[in-house]
Amino acid sequence: MKRYSLLAAAASVIVMASGAHAQERTKFEFWYGLTGQLGEVMAKQCQLFNESQDRYEAVCVGQGGYDKAEQNTIAAYRAKQHPTLVQIYDAGTVNFMLSGAIYPANKFAEDYRIDVDWDAYFPGIANYYATSTGEMWSFPHNSSTAVLYWNKDQWAKIGKSEAPKTWAEFAADLKALKEAGVECGFAFDFDTWMNLEQFSAINGLPIATLDNGYGGLGAEVEFHQTAFADHMNNFKDWMDAGYAQIQTSQVGKNLIQSFADGTCASTTSSIANHGVVGSTKAEGMNWDVAMLPVLEEGKRTNSIVGGASLWIMEGKTPEEYEATAAFVKYVTAPDTGEKYIAENTGYIPVTTAGFELLKSEGFYDKEGYAGREIAIESLTASDVTPLSRGIRLGNFTSIRAEVRAELEAAFTGQKDMETALSDAADRSNQILRRYEQTYRGADLP
Amino acid sequence: MIERTPVLDFITQTILVLSLVALLMPLWVVFVAASHDYQTVNQVPMPLWPGSHLFENLSAAWAAGNFDRVMLNSVIVAVGVTAGKICIAALSAFSIVYFSYRLRMLLFWLIFITLMLPLEVRIVPTYAVAANALGPFEAILNAIGISIRLPEWNLLNSYSGLILPLVATATGTFLYRQFFMTIPDELAEAAKMDGSGPLRFFFEVLLPLSKTNMAALATIMFVWSWNQYLWPLLIVTDHANYATATMQLQKVVPGPLFGAPPIWNTAMAANLIVLTPPVLVTILLQRWFVRGLISTDK
Amino acid sequence: MEKRVTFSNTWLAAALILPQMLLVFVFFYWPTGEALYWAFTLERPFGGGNEWVGLYNFEGVFGDPKYWSSVRVSMIFAIAATVLSLVIAVLMALFVDRRLPGHQVYKFTFFLPYALAAPAVGLAFRFIFSPDAGFVSAINQFFPGLWNPALDGFDALLLIILAQAWSLVGYNFIFFLAALQSIPRTMSEAGAMDGAGVMRRMWDLQLPLITPTLFFLIVINITDSFVNSFGIVDITTGGGPARATDLMVYKIYTDGFQGKDYSLAAAQSIVLMVLIVALTFIQFRFIERRVHYT
Repeated sequence: MKRYSLLAAAASVIVMASGAHAQERTKFEFWYGLTGQLGEVMAKQCQLFNESQDRYEAVCVGQGGYDKAEQNTIAAYRAKQHPTLVQIYDAGTVNFMLSGAIYPANKFAEDYRIDVDWDAYFPGIANYYATSTGEMWSFPHNSSTAVLYWNKDQWAKIGKSEAPKTWAEFAADLKALKEAGVECGFAFDFDTWMNLEQFSAINGLPIATLDNGYGGLGAEVEFHQTAFADHMNNFKDWMDAGYAQIQTSQVGKNLIQSFADGTCASTTSSIANHGVVGSTKAEGMNWDVAMLPVLEEGKRTNSIVGGASLWIMEGKTPEEYEATAAFVKYVTAPDTGEKYIAENTGYIPVTTAGFELLKSEGFYDKEGYAGREIAIESLTASDVTPLSRGIRLGNFTSIRAEVRAELEAAFTGQKDMETALSDAADRSNQILRRYEQTYRGADLP
Repeated sequence: MIERTPVLDFITQTILVLSLVALLMPLWVVFVAASHDYQTVNQVPMPLWPGSHLFENLSAAWAAGNFDRVMLNSVIVAVGVTAGKICIAALSAFSIVYFSYRLRMLLFWLIFITLMLPLEVRIVPTYAVAANALGPFEAILNAIGISIRLPEWNLLNSYSGLILPLVATATGTFLYRQFFMTIPDELAEAAKMDGSGPLRFFFEVLLPLSKTNMAALATIMFVWSWNQYLWPLLIVTDHANYATATMQLQKVVPGPLFGAPPIWNTAMAANLIVLTPPVLVTILLQRWFVRGLISTDK
Repeated sequence: MEKRVTFSNTWLAAALILPQMLLVFVFFYWPTGEALYWAFTLERPFGGGNEWVGLYNFEGVFGDPKYWSSVRVSMIFAIAATVLSLVIAVLMALFVDRRLPGHQVYKFTFFLPYALAAPAVGLAFRFIFSPDAGFVSAINQFFPGLWNPALDGFDALLLIILAQAWSLVGYNFIFFLAALQSIPRTMSEAGAMDGAGVMRRMWDLQLPLITPTLFFLIVINITDSFVNSFGIVDITTGGGPARATDLMVYKIYTDGFQGKDYSLAAAQSIVLMVLIVALTFIQFRFIERRVHYT
């Protein structure tokens, strides 16, 4: 008898299960660029979404890198085999805006009834991905910004317990650190996101005309005429004086490694590396993060975002969009989206709602996570100005490469900083003119 | 050994051992990195002596890469590419070397030029072809006025899509050509005198002679196709069914991203896993490296 | 170079070569044709508008002094890496072919570098060659500043040459060994009877007999160094410092694959192809003459 009822129970379970399966789930594809452990976090989020309901199925495909994700989406779009949703890095934003291949996020949210509070996004993040008129065409996703990592033990040697607020103070600290016997006070590399883009945003310096390119494709770069050149000359002086060192993976350690193992007393890097420093730091090292120094005290504008946003591609069926909308809802919600990402990676919440949720749960008091709120403070340091909105330049990856190569030329003594930067500007402008000509007749939204 | 040459043997052994060390050093680094825990592997400098975490790293990598499932796919693809290339290349080289027709040099160069442009450069249009492999023919027929719709042949998410584009390169043809050129003309002459046709000559004389070269080519092609990752990453979106082993490396190897923690120990363990089958195949194919039997001098 | 004895069944010849031509046409020439057409237009990544601009893209390429330095670096890289890896591989193959004790072990270990996937190669090389942390850091302790690929263009170029040569050695070794093994033992024995020593036999007997393979490897190595080297650059130097290792193919990769400027990449691809075809042609014309076929 007992056995019989067990069988019956089993049978009914099978019937129920097959009943649920009879209603075929609507599938859609989502391509992402994150790799390694971060890619696993994305895959897990998809799995959680799929388990959270039984109507839709997200097929999530890692593409092996941000650049590959963009490239593969283009290839697939041209063959009409593209995914419905794709994660595209900050530098790809302008290509997607001009592509004619996308379903703008704001329109999508309206058509598929996703209740998005666009004003809840931190302005420093929203503006980076918004059109010049402020419309959001993609959903900000994994985001970070730049901060100063500093070694409290080393700073204690010069009798200070607070991070420097201005670059002038920082320079004085470096000198003092050297005199106190610290071999390397500051580790830097030639990354432009940190040294040029964040520096310019925070200090209200232009990178290009027409509001850093938001005003149209005719923009020209002007970073060679700002305080950026002096800033880089300072770096070089610090290097020559033995205060600072270049640390790249070619030398053996990248910035974060050389900070975490105590080789260098400070560095500037993405807040997303906060967890890495925590888990790889030298035994017993006391450290913290602070907002990047500014040129003039009291004159700080917001820093800008780095990371990626989610784009909806055009040309899919309403059913697929329906499914995608459910997924987007899931991954942008404060708890299943923002909190999940913040807890499992070094990325930060992107809306006030997400930030408040994390704060209320004591996230920023927990060991290992405390200090990350500095990133939010930095992103919201001021109202967003035309110069701290972001950078909207065509083929920006190539411009970054040009600046980087010319900085290397200056630091290796092949030319002086002014010549190097003005060469970089000339070459950048050629890139921009090519881009403008390629998109002749198209209007930058 | 034909004669005794102790001094030369000593020098030879020394050079061999030194080259062995130089060549294996990077592999050693990979192995050592795979055997430490996360903290140790991120120390600078990393220790040069293996640690005790090899097996847990291997099993972590094995699970992260879903290797139970993907190894078989890789074997299918690598064997498919290798076999396809060996056959097709032998046939085309035979045609170019042993037949006289006017176009043969042109055809040889047409095949040869395929070595000169990497996939990355032509990836966008190649993807379009993979999405509809009969597309080019349809376009040509339409262009010459034959309006016809060929069925769509989609190679995305399929073994053919993973295999065929990789077979279409020239290394094999060129290698066979080089080898066929060394075969004495007398052999072909004798075959002609016997009245045996070209195909019989090919199967009964040329192929047996090519054994060693074929083994070398097979080794190279197996490893080469095993290590392809850009193409599979592009055309396979159904990772559950068609992912290959090397593709899985991107899941464990961090890219140059902000905030990607370098979990090198697992990444290197995954590399060791992915490295194993090609090494086994290499050892297996070494058996075919046999001393030639037919004198090729006159 | 042509055979004296050939068959004359043209239909059979066509049938034999057809599979290869079909594959090459569908998966190489058709897509490549489209990609190269973009060299004469300004192609938008997502399509939808490509204006015919004639030689504008080529003017951009040739008018850029940085491009010419990239051509120069690529030539140095290809030749140095090819020579280095061929010399090492042929020596090892000759020695292994002598079947000294342990040759079975050498036979497959020498091949291992080729079997290692790219990401691991990058990590290993960075580790070995980093001036502060790696094996060469010892050199820097005695001669400070002697080795620094992050700041010294020459060091960086040397680094990628060594990495490329390292990855090609296994490939070359396999083919050399196969060629040596195809030489009948009777020939060496005959040489030994005549009183020729080991070294003499290598130089006068074995090397001439493997020239067809040598020629094959020269052509393949040079082509490969021009065409497939961006992986090594990407994971070790990133083209720097100050473009010292900005190889032609790496520039194509960054302009096209990363920068999405397909037209500029296409124009550079044509230049690269023409250059390699010319180099290969020269090799066929001048080097192949000295190849000892039958």
